[in-house]
Amino acid sequence: MDKKGIYLITGIVATVLFWVFRVEVYEGLFQAPGFSDAMYNTGIYGIVGLITAAMAWGAAAIFYYAINSVQFCRWWHWLCILAIVTIMAPIVCYFVNSSIFDSENYSYAAEMVSFEGVNMIFTAVLYVVASFSIRWWSTNCRHTPFPQ
Amino acid sequence: MKKIFNFSPLFVAGMLAIGLLLSSCGKDALQKAVKDAFIKGDTTEVAYEAICDIITSNAEKYSDYVDTNGNINVDALDQMINEVGQNLRPPMTWNTKRYGQKSLSLSIYFERSGSMVPYDQASGGGQLKKAVNDLINFFPGGENASINIVNDNIYPYNGTVESFLQDRDIYASTKGVGDASYTDFKVIFDKIFQAQKPGNVAVLITDLIYSPKNTAGVSVDKIFNEENSLATSIFTKYKGKSIIVNQLRGDYDGQYYPYNGQPFQYKGQRPFYAIIIADASTIDRMAKDNRFANFLNLSGTINSYRFNQANTTLDYKLVPVWNNNAGRCRESRDQKGLITNCEADRETGILAFSVAVNFNGLQKDDAFLSNPSNFTLQSQNGFTVKVEKIDPSAITGNNKAYLEGMTHVLTFTGKLGTAKDEITVNLRNDFPAWIEQSTSRDDSSASATGFATTTFGLERFLRGIYDAFSASQSNYTTMTIKLEK
Repeated sequence: MDKKGIYLITGIVATVLFWVFRVEVYEGLFQAPGFSDAMYNTGIYGIVGLITAAMAWGAAAIFYYAINSVQFCRWWHWLCILAIVTIMAPIVCYFVNSSIFDSENYSYAAEMVSFEGVNMIFTAVLYVVASFSIRWWSTNCRHTPFPQ
Repeated sequence: MKKIFNFSPLFVAGMLAIGLLLSSCGKDALQKAVKDAFIKGDTTEVAYEAICDIITSNAEKYSDYVDTNGNINVDALDQMINEVGQNLRPPMTWNTKRYGQKSLSLSIYFERSGSMVPYDQASGGGQLKKAVNDLINFFPGGENASINIVNDNIYPYNGTVESFLQDRDIYASTKGVGDASYTDFKVIFDKIFQAQKPGNVAVLITDLIYSPKNTAGVSVDKIFNEENSLATSIFTKYKGKSIIVNQLRGDYDGQYYPYNGQPFQYKGQRPFYAIIIADASTIDRMAKDNRFANFLNLSGTINSYRFNQANTTLDYKLVPVWNNNAGRCRESRDQKGLITNCEADRETGILAFSVAVNFNGLQKDDAFLSNPSNFTLQSQNGFTVKVEKIDPSAITGNNKAYLEGMTHVLTFTGKLGTAKDEITVNLRNDFPAWIEQSTSRDDSSASATGFATTTFGLERFLRGIYDAFSASQSNYTTMTIKLEK
């Protein structure tokens, strides 16, 4: 197996592990009395982890294969997409989280904001992981953010 | 072909997302229904029936929960439900086995001695008859109760339950049944115990005045000692039984027969007792079943005490946010009763944490449960406890998972000066003070102090029962909480 394949498999494994150990990963950085139990009981860690991983990989895929432009292949272009997804994913997660909590009559607005702050870190990390997993087959952006 | 290859990482990423999506959305409908019931605090028979419906509507898929006859496998289902509950935070339990249990039966034993007749006079308030009627009406299946008249022996009541309930002068219609001049408690209790089948609940309505034959000239102390020994000797033989003594008060208008003296006329209030007798496990079962709440908490009861109440393991949960909490701590998810990461409040150095407890099974009134002096606490750092009854308005969406199904919050306060501590809480099962206060040594005159509120020799008789069961009832419950910094 060549280097590209190893990167891809490593990236997938890292993402799957992130999702499998989502409770430990998220609670390792953020726990709040009552809120964390509610997140666990309603299964939101799984949903949020899934949205975050999908959006991070999706953003990377859009950058390397949909946009895939020589005019948009500098490292700051890549950083721009990272910034967008790092903001967008937690916003989407917040609304999903909020709607589930509303249906269960929970009210943890402040905790949800803090949690999504933490989720921004994971979104950025997953975007980097996805980028290094899939960039090798991009015709115009495979050198972004660093040359091969 | 090359183009397709170029998109393979995208394909892999897409597959990854779909895989994760499917793995999270493919949760079983049965498990989801169970989980929802726990999270919503809806652990009721209705929710259980809905879960059973899911199984029966797809018996093939859920064959693990269906027995060979096509019925619900109650044990397997209970196990699965509680496994789901144990994986929640905080871990939750749901006793579903009781839903399929056999119905209980009721036997009423109505004392018809000379001193009981004045309780049901037309001039009085009829509290005694109302209490008996309530016991029958609030017992699920009470319309099939067996009713008996007791004095020197036990005699079956000739009418039906319906005629008993409607009878406005029960003593007139049972006139001539047995010998009303004395009550033989030994015979009565022995016969009740011997006749009692599993699942039967017996209720004796009595004034609990020990009135054997030929007491003229016998000293009070001798009578009391005889009464005490008699009670111990009877109840020692039936260790598996539990007895609830409910003290009520009713209007009395008629002749009173003191143990040693001339009968006299008395009009006023007098105590009487509704004594519930059943297997300890049957009473435990009733205590957990809301349908028996009115039966066990009989209207008009002034004092109550359950004899032979085994140490009960209580369900409790750490409440993360509560009024008096100070500092921070975290409940261990691996070990029940372990609280870790304890940090005192930075300004005061005090750690205060709260646990929600379900005291329902103990059948104790709020005054008893809310009194910290009934609790003994042992801890290295001298923690104290404050007990609060849970006000339903205090239950919010955020704390319902901790407070739903619970009755009280215990807040422990102290300074955790050591790396670890262990708090042991006991709710003491002492011989109740009200029994002593409701006892008289002299009932020869209505002008004696407390004649309206006391019963001759009550303490000696009930102490005899208490002594018979004393080995098994030092504490109602014991709770151990371990703290770690």
